[in-house]
Amino acid sequence: MSDGQSMRQAASWPAEIGQQHGARGPDQTAAVEAAALNKWFGSFHALKDINLAVPQGGRIVICGPSGSGKSTLIRCVNGLEPFQSGTVRIGGVDLTRDQKQLQKIRRSVGMVFQQFNLFPHLTVMANCTLALRRVLGKSRTEAADIAAHYLERVRIPEQAHKYPAQLSGGQQQRVAIARALCMNPKIMLFDEPTSSLDPEMVKEVLDVMIDLAADGMTMLCVTHEMGFAREAADQVVFMDQGSIVETASPATFFAAPSQERTRLFLDKMLR
Amino acid sequence: MTTVEIFVGIFDGFRITATVTALGLLFAVPFALIFGVAQYLTKGAAHLAVTAVIEFWRSSAVIILLFVFYYVLPVIGIQLPAITVAAMVLGLNAGGYGSQAVRAGLQSLDRGQFEAAAALGLPRGHILALIELPQALTRMAPTFINQFIQLIKGTALVSLVTLTDMTFRAKEIAELEYNPVGVYTSLLLAYFVVCYPVTVFGRWVEQRSGGRKGLTNEF
Repeated sequence: MSDGQSMRQAASWPAEIGQQHGARGPDQTAAVEAAALNKWFGSFHALKDINLAVPQGGRIVICGPSGSGKSTLIRCVNGLEPFQSGTVRIGGVDLTRDQKQLQKIRRSVGMVFQQFNLFPHLTVMANCTLALRRVLGKSRTEAADIAAHYLERVRIPEQAHKYPAQLSGGQQQRVAIARALCMNPKIMLFDEPTSSLDPEMVKEVLDVMIDLAADGMTMLCVTHEMGFAREAADQVVFMDQGSIVETASPATFFAAPSQERTRLFLDKMLR
Repeated sequence: MTTVEIFVGIFDGFRITATVTALGLLFAVPFALIFGVAQYLTKGAAHLAVTAVIEFWRSSAVIILLFVFYYVLPVIGIQLPAITVAAMVLGLNAGGYGSQAVRAGLQSLDRGQFEAAAALGLPRGHILALIELPQALTRMAPTFINQFIQLIKGTALVSLVTLTDMTFRAKEIAELEYNPVGVYTSLLLAYFVVCYPVTVFGRWVEQRSGGRKGLTNEF
C-alpha cells in the first residue's frame, strides 16, 4: 500500500519538478523535448525525425528558409499542429490528443503569433484577463492586477482600455506577449513575432523579448532576426526541408557553421 | 372609407402580424444558433444530419410548409393552434437561413483567433462562446436584420390559415369596399411602416458594435 503510493509519487516527480523550476536549483527535466518527431501534410513530409531538447531557462532560436518546417515544429510543441509519430514532452509530460490534458499543458506554454491574433472585440485589458478569469478562475480585480503588471512590463500600461485595432502593430504584438505572460507560463513560444511588423516597430518587440530572456524565461523562438539570435539566444537551430541541419551556440553558428547548407543560408541572410 | 380609415382598419391586424413575428423569432433564433454552430462543429454523419434538417426548412416553399403543417398535422392527431403552426413554419424557415449566416460568420473568422484562444488553454466551449460567436454575430448583424425583415413580410402568408393579420384585414376591407387599389396600396404602406424602423435599428446596431472596434477592417 505505502509502496504503491511512493511509487506513484516517484512516477509523477519529473512532472512536479517541471512545474516549480527554480525551487530546487538546476533541474534536469527538459522544458521541451521532441524525439523522433515526424509530421506529414498529406504526402508532404513536413518534419523529418526531429530531435530537440530545450532545457529549463534555455533560449533557442530556430531559423531556416521558408517552408523548412520551423513554424510547424513550434506549433507541434503546444499541440496546435497534430503530428503522426514521435513524442513531444513538456516538462516531462507527454503531449497527447486528449483535450483536457492539452488544455492543461497549454496553460503553462505561452505562444506569440506572427499575426498577433489579439481578440479584436475585446479591450487590451480584457484580452489579457480573459484566460486568467475563465481558465485559472481569478477574480476580476486579481486578474486586472496581473494584467496591469505585465502590460507595464511590455511598456504599454496606458493602452489597457483601447481595442486592438486602435494600436500599432508593435503595440499589438507587445500586448500579445503580455497576454501570454499573464498565464505565468514556463515556456514561451514565438512564431516569427516580428515578421509582419513595419521595420521601425521591430525593435520595440525585440527589446521586450530580450528583457524576457534576461529574466531567465525559457524561450523557443522562430525568427529571421539574426541580431536577436546573437544577443539573446544560447542555442541556434538551423532547419531546412523539414530536418534539423545544425545546432550550435550563436558564436559558433555565425562564425563557423559546420554545414554547407547553413553557410549558404547565412550568406543570403547576412548579405 | 377614407384612406386613413382603410389604413387604421388594416392595422387592426397588426397584433397578429406582431405576434406571429415575435413567436417566429422564438423558433428562428435558437434554431439558427444551435444548427449554425452544430454545422460548424460537426463532421461526418452528424454533419450530414444537421445539414439535412437545415435544408428541409430552408429549401421548402413556406406556403406549402404552412398548408402541410396546418392541414396534415390534425390528420395524424396533432392539434396545434393556427398561430403556433404559422410561427413555427415561418420561424424555422427564417432560422434555416439564419443558421447559414451563423455558420458563414464562424467560418469567416481568422483561424488565428481559435489558435490564440486554444494556446491560452481555453476549452472549446469557451472559445466558441467568448471568442468566435461574438465576432461572428457582429459580422453577421446586417444579414440577421435582413432576415428579420423577411420574417415580418413573410407573415402575410398566415392570412391563408385563418389568422386575422394585416393582409387578412386588407382582403376583408377590399371585399367590402371594391377599392383594391386603395386598399392594397395602404397594405404596402402598412408593411413599410412596420419594417422601416427595423432597418433603421439595424443600421444603428451595426454602427454601434462595429465602428469603434474596427471589426469591419482586417488588420
